[in-house]
Amino acid sequence: MLTYVLKTLWRHHTRTLLTVTGAAVAMFVFCFVGSVQEGLQLLTTGSDADRSLIVFQENRFCPTSSRLPEDYARKIREVRGVRDVMPIQVWTNNCRASLDIVVFNGAAPKQIQATRPVTLVEGSWTAFGSRRDAAIVGRNVAQRRALNVGDQFSIGDLSVNVVGVFRSSVPSEENLIYTSLEFLQYTRGLDAAGLVTQHEVLLTDDADADLVASEIDNILRAGPVATTTRRKGAFQASTLSDLVDLIGFAHWLGYACVGLVLSLVATTTVMSVQDRIKEYAVLQTIGVRPMRAMQLVLAESTILCAVGGIAGTGIALGLLALGGFAIGAEGATIAFRPSWWLAGSGTVVSLAVGVIAGLAPAIQAATVPIVVALREA
Amino acid sequence: MALVELQGVSKSFRKGDETITPLDDVSLQIHAGEFVSLMGPSGTGKSTLLNLVSGIDRPDAGTITVDGTKITGLSRSRLADWRAANLGYIFQTHNLIPVLTAYENVELPTLLLKLSSSERQMRVELALEAVGLTDRADHYPRQLSGGQEQRVGIARAIVAHPKVVVADEPTGSLDSETSEQIQVLLQRLNQELNITMLMVTHDSHVAKIASRQLVLDRGKFLDSQTAIA
Repeated sequence: MLTYVLKTLWRHHTRTLLTVTGAAVAMFVFCFVGSVQEGLQLLTTGSDADRSLIVFQENRFCPTSSRLPEDYARKIREVRGVRDVMPIQVWTNNCRASLDIVVFNGAAPKQIQATRPVTLVEGSWTAFGSRRDAAIVGRNVAQRRALNVGDQFSIGDLSVNVVGVFRSSVPSEENLIYTSLEFLQYTRGLDAAGLVTQHEVLLTDDADADLVASEIDNILRAGPVATTTRRKGAFQASTLSDLVDLIGFAHWLGYACVGLVLSLVATTTVMSVQDRIKEYAVLQTIGVRPMRAMQLVLAESTILCAVGGIAGTGIALGLLALGGFAIGAEGATIAFRPSWWLAGSGTVVSLAVGVIAGLAPAIQAATVPIVVALREA
Repeated sequence: MALVELQGVSKSFRKGDETITPLDDVSLQIHAGEFVSLMGPSGTGKSTLLNLVSGIDRPDAGTITVDGTKITGLSRSRLADWRAANLGYIFQTHNLIPVLTAYENVELPTLLLKLSSSERQMRVELALEAVGLTDRADHYPRQLSGGQEQRVGIARAIVAHPKVVVADEPTGSLDSETSEQIQVLLQRLNQELNITMLMVTHDSHVAKIASRQLVLDRGKFLDSQTAIA
C-alpha cells in the first residue's frame, strides 16, 4: 500500500512539489529562529556564564566607554573566592546591533590559553605568544570573513596577523578574535595604556558568585573608577537586552512557521481527499479497512511534511554550519550554530505536524459512507 | 442451501420530506455457481440491493447471509475483511486507481489477503490472462480503452477468488461491440470458473446472458417465486 501512497504523491507532482517546498521554507525559518534562541540560551547559561564574573565600569554599556585601571586585577585577586582575573581590552567595529560584528579581545596569551574554553584547530599557541600583532580567530569569524592562518586582517585602525583558528565549547566565543592585551591597548585611537575595558573573574568552586561580585564592587568603590560586577551570563544578557527582547519575540515567528506548515499540509490533504473520495470508497469496497484508509491519508500528509520539513531543517543546519552567522551588539555576540537538538526538533515537529494535518481528512476518508462516495463524479 | 440469502430486507431513504423505499421486505436466494441478473426501471432498488449484498450498505430491516455468514451483523471493519475475502465488485465506470498500472490494480485485493508473493503474482497473472490483458499489465488506466479498463476491473474482482461477484451495470458505459465482449467474458467466467454472479442491468439483452433473470419494481420482485428458487 505504500506504493499506492508514493505513486499518488508522484502522480500529483506539482501539488507535492509546492507543498514540500512550502514546508521546507517554513521549517528553514523555524530552525533559524531556533538557532538564535539556542545561541542566546547558551550565552546566558552554562558554567562559563554562571561561574565567571565581568567587572565593568559603572553605568557604562558600550566597550568603548568602559575604562578600568588594569591594576584593578591585583585588588580583585585578593577577594576571597576569586581563582583568577583576566584583564581584557575589548575593541569592536560596531557598538550597535549588527550581523557582522567583529570583536577583538586583548588579553595575556598565556591566560587565554589557560582559562578560555578554546582549542586551536589551526595554527599554534607559540606563534600567538611570540608576535605582538598575532591574533587567533574564532571559527565563526574565520568562516564569515574567509580568514586562514597566515592572512593579514585589517579593520579600522587595527591590523593583525592570523596565527590560529580556534573552536570553543561556548559558541559565542567563536565570534571573537583574541590578540595580546598590549597590542590592543596601544592601538592608535584607543589610547588605553594601563587601562582595560573589563576584568573577567574566574571563581573558585565553592564561591558564591553574587557575594564575590558585590565584594569586588565594594573594594573598588574607593578606586578612581566605580565598577559594576555581574555574572558573565547576566552581563551579556544585559548588554544584549534590546536583542534579547527581539529574540524573545522571534520565537512567535517559529510557532507561526509551524502553524503555516500545518495549514498548508492540511489544506493540501483535505483537497486531495475531497478530490479522491471516490477512490477511497473503491478501496473500501475492495476490502480496505476504514482504519487502513485513514492510515493511507495520514501517510500522505506525513510524507509531504516530513520530506519538506527535513529538507528545510537540513538546509538551515547546513547553512548555519557553513555560514558562521552571528548577531551582536556592544561587543557581545550570539552565535547561530547548528545542533543535534535543532535537527531532532525540526524532524519531530515535521512528523507531528504531518500527522496532525492529516487527521481531519483521514477521518473523512475513513468514515464517509461508501455508497455516497461512489456516487461522486 | 443458498450461497446468498436475503430475508425480509427493507431499505428506505429520506429525500427532503419524502421517504423513498427502494426495497420493501424483499427475499432472495442465489445458489453457488448461479448467474443472476437483476433488471428493472431506474430507481427501483437494483443497485441498492447490490450494495446490500456487497456489504457496502446496510438494510433497515431483514438479514443477509452469504455462505453462512450473516453480514448484516458485522462491524464496518469486519465487513471490509469479509469483502476482501469473499466479494468481487465490478463497477459500471470501472473505477480503477489511476496512479496504479493494470497489474497493480489487479494486485490490490490480494494485498489484503495473507498470501505469499509468489501466490499473489500467480493469481494476478492468471486473472489478467483470464480477461486477455496479459500484454497490457504495465499500462496505466489512462492508456487503456474503456473495454480494456472494464476487463481490468473484472480481473480485479475475481483475483481474490471471491465466493460472489457482483456487477453494477458492467456494460453501461461501453459501446455495443465492447459490451458484447464483456458479456461473453462474464458468461465464460461464470461457466468455466463457476463464479457466482449477481448482475444489475437495465438492458434486457444483457440480462439474458444470466441463468436466472429477476425483475424489481417498486421495491418488490415481480415474480417472488423466481426470486426464491
